[in-house]
Amino acid sequence: MSDRDSESRLTGPAPALAAGWLLILSGLAPNLACAESETVDNQGCLRCHQMATLAYRDPGTGEIVDLSIAPMALSHSAHGKLACSDCHSADFDRYPHPKRLKEETLSCVGCHEDQDDADQRLYRFETIDEEFERSVHATSDHPKAAGFSCHSCHDPHAFRNSRVGEEIRQIVHDDNAICLSCHKKVQDPLRDPHAWLPKREKHRESVRCLDCHTPLTEAGQPVSHRILAAEDSNRDCVNCHSKEPQLLNRLYQYRSEEDLASKGWVSKAVFNEAYVVGMSRSPLIDRLALAVIGITVLVLGAHGYGRYRAYRREQEDQA
Amino acid sequence: MSQLYLYPLWVRVWHWVNAAIFLVLMYTGASMHFNGAGWLMEFQTAITVHNTAGILLTVGWIGFILGNLTTSNGRHYHVQLKGFIGRLTAQSLYYGYGIFRNAPHPFHPSAEAKLNTLQQITYIGVMYLLMPLLVLSGWAFLFSVYLPETLFGIGSVWVVAIAHLTLAYLLVLFLLVHLYVITTGETPMTNMKAMLSGWHRDSHQDTEA
Ligand code: HEC
Ligand code: HEC
Ligand code: HEC
Ligand code: HEC
Ligand code: HEC
Ligand code: HEC
Ligand code: HEC
Repeated sequence: MSDRDSESRLTGPAPALAAGWLLILSGLAPNLACAESETVDNQGCLRCHQMATLAYRDPGTGEIVDLSIAPMALSHSAHGKLACSDCHSADFDRYPHPKRLKEETLSCVGCHEDQDDADQRLYRFETIDEEFERSVHATSDHPKAAGFSCHSCHDPHAFRNSRVGEEIRQIVHDDNAICLSCHKKVQDPLRDPHAWLPKREKHRESVRCLDCHTPLTEAGQPVSHRILAAEDSNRDCVNCHSKEPQLLNRLYQYRSEEDLASKGWVSKAVFNEAYVVGMSRSPLIDRLALAVIGITVLVLGAHGYGRYRAYRREQEDQA
Repeated sequence: MSQLYLYPLWVRVWHWVNAAIFLVLMYTGASMHFNGAGWLMEFQTAITVHNTAGILLTVGWIGFILGNLTTSNGRHYHVQLKGFIGRLTAQSLYYGYGIFRNAPHPFHPSAEAKLNTLQQITYIGVMYLLMPLLVLSGWAFLFSVYLPETLFGIGSVWVVAIAHLTLAYLLVLFLLVHLYVITTGETPMTNMKAMLSGWHRDSHQDTEA
């Protein structure tokens, strides 16, 4: 539909204007190509690459390389307005693809570093890269973690980052789906490493894996990419179940202004509520109180024993 | 052997209802506080039961205070300053030492004073200080939305939460000691029976009254 529109526009009564557009576009591409998104025509490539079965077995690793692209996912993704050739070499339009294109390497960071809108974003790709380099996935020597990269979590043809104003629940669901696609064990009630967490279902729906598995200190970016090892991950309820849910603040940045205005009060009530556990949890008071209670029980026990001895003595004296 | 009618019916009813509420509050409170441990009540149920019990406790406490204001029971909570230190020392010495020597009880309940000095100050502390604070902090939880953002510069809900928790622990401690101390009567069951029937039976009554 939109393709036809744009075509008619281009071949319409103002060919000179259209030509001017093209000139401007080619001058500013790829960054501005997106501005005139409807002109993007990926059909040439998608003719083959939208076939779900398009794949081959890598002779080196023996792994199946999926070559299919889902057109719907792509058009809804962050890169939906780009043409294949904005990222991939234009020489791919020849088939069979030239052998040398096999060497083509594309990286999220490499490409985005050059873009000049960096200061308009909440996040920096360099920071993300640094964080990723320190994450468990990058540092792990587990064989399955070999070759872990941005693409392990982000399909450039489908990834769409969350935006302010989106439903928090949906954000949580989408983000967790990324992790759960590999971490199947977490979904198995019998082997879930989070057995200690009450209301696991509820947590899975309302908090992101990231909220517990990334450190608090790195401020600024809505998501930290420094996934922590299991033993360093957060298990402190109070970081969320308190009036200032530090861990959740990152997630709640996605709330829009109106959201805050309308939901702010409610959520305040929720988090102000006594019932949200952990709120009143204070390890210090708990330990102190349990120790005092324990000692009291011991003292009372000893006292009772002393009285019993006295009672026996009296009995013997009387006998 | 003497008999004294120390505990009027309303006091006994209040006492046992209060005791039951106490147990319920402890269990449901622990269920919320330590949520996740196996033997505890389901979270949502615990909340409902705890709140209901808390409201009943409040009603009970008000009833107790009114009862003490309007009946003669209140006089047991008026501290007799004369000889206070002496009586306190005697009672403490008895619990700490004399009781193991089969020494006679230094105190014998009478219609004028059913509580020994140590009991008296404990109960005053519990009923006139800890309980109202506990009840207040509980209600502050329920209406936390209306609290100011901060109290003493700290998030007010946190202050309330920690106060409620600390008071709850103190009252658990009281309950433990209380349960033990009631066995130190003439026989281990003397005081328990008194609270059930209202009648205090004491074989030494004549020595002191
Ligand atoms: C006639 C069908 C067809 C068309 C049209 C086509 N491709 Fe391909 N493409 C394939 C096949 C088959 C492979 C796998 C074999 C190979 O690598 O040559 C492939 C592989 C690729 C690869 C992966 C190379 C690798 O091994 O990592 C990329 C990238 C690619 N195509 C991009 C494109 C782009 C961009 C276009 C449009 C400009 C396009 N293709 C058009 C069939 C096609
Ligand atoms: C935002 C840039 C971008 C756009 C636009 C883009 N790609 Fe890609 N594509 C990449 C990156 C990056 C990789 C490498 C992914 C990897 O290494 O796993 C890739 C890999 C591929 C592969 C190899 C198989 C795979 O998934 O690893 C194929 C086939 C492919 N792209 C086809 C296309 C086609 C067809 C289009 C247009 C419909 C397109 N791409 C648009 C960035 C892009
Ligand atoms: C070859 C270049 C290239 C590669 C590789 C690439 N992108 Fe992009 N990306 C772009 C361009 C150009 C845009 C601007 C698209 C627009 O504004 O419509 C963009 C937009 C985005 C956006 C949304 C706009 C924004 O700036 O917030 C995100 C998020 C994004 N890319 C993430 C990624 C991720 C993650 C990867 C790796 C999986 C990746 N990109 C790989 C070129 C690239
Ligand atoms: C372990 C999985 C994982 C890896 C590896 C990973 N990311 Fe992410 N990334 C995520 C998740 C989850 C999100 C949150 C998506 C969302 O809701 O916006 C995210 C978000 C992003 C965003 C959007 C940030 C924002 O605030 O909107 C960008 C850009 C991004 N990643 C880039 C990268 C780059 C570049 C790399 C490689 C250096 C990378 N990611 C590696 C999981 C990963
Ligand atoms: C591409 C698959 C994949 C994705 C996606 C993925 N992981 Fe992993 N993850 C792994 C592998 C492989 C390891 C290393 C093996 C291991 O230690 O179990 C690992 C390790 C971990 C560990 C460390 C476990 C330990 O023993 O210390 C944590 C925590 C973790 N991942 C969390 C996440 C989170 C959170 C996400 C989503 C943001 C995520 N992972 C996404 C594959 C993945
Ligand atoms: C409430 C905080 C929290 C949330 C939410 C959370 N985790 Fe964890 N996770 C932890 C903690 C803490 C550990 C360490 C547990 C331990 O060592 O006993 C852990 C352990 C893990 C491990 C290591 C398992 C192993 O074999 O040692 C993986 C993998 C993992 N989590 C993945 C996830 C994924 C995927 C999600 C999202 C669906 C998630 N976590 C959500 C706190 C959390
Ligand atoms: C990463 C933040 C986070 C952490 C850490 C966390 N929670 Fe939660 N928890 C939440 C959120 C968000 C909800 C959902 C609240 C809602 O939907 O009203 C929730 C819900 C709950 C509920 C259900 C409350 C209800 O109304 O049904 C319980 C119980 C709970 N958490 C207990 C815990 C305990 C115990 C811990 C520590 C072991 C913990 N949580 C750690 C964020 C967290």
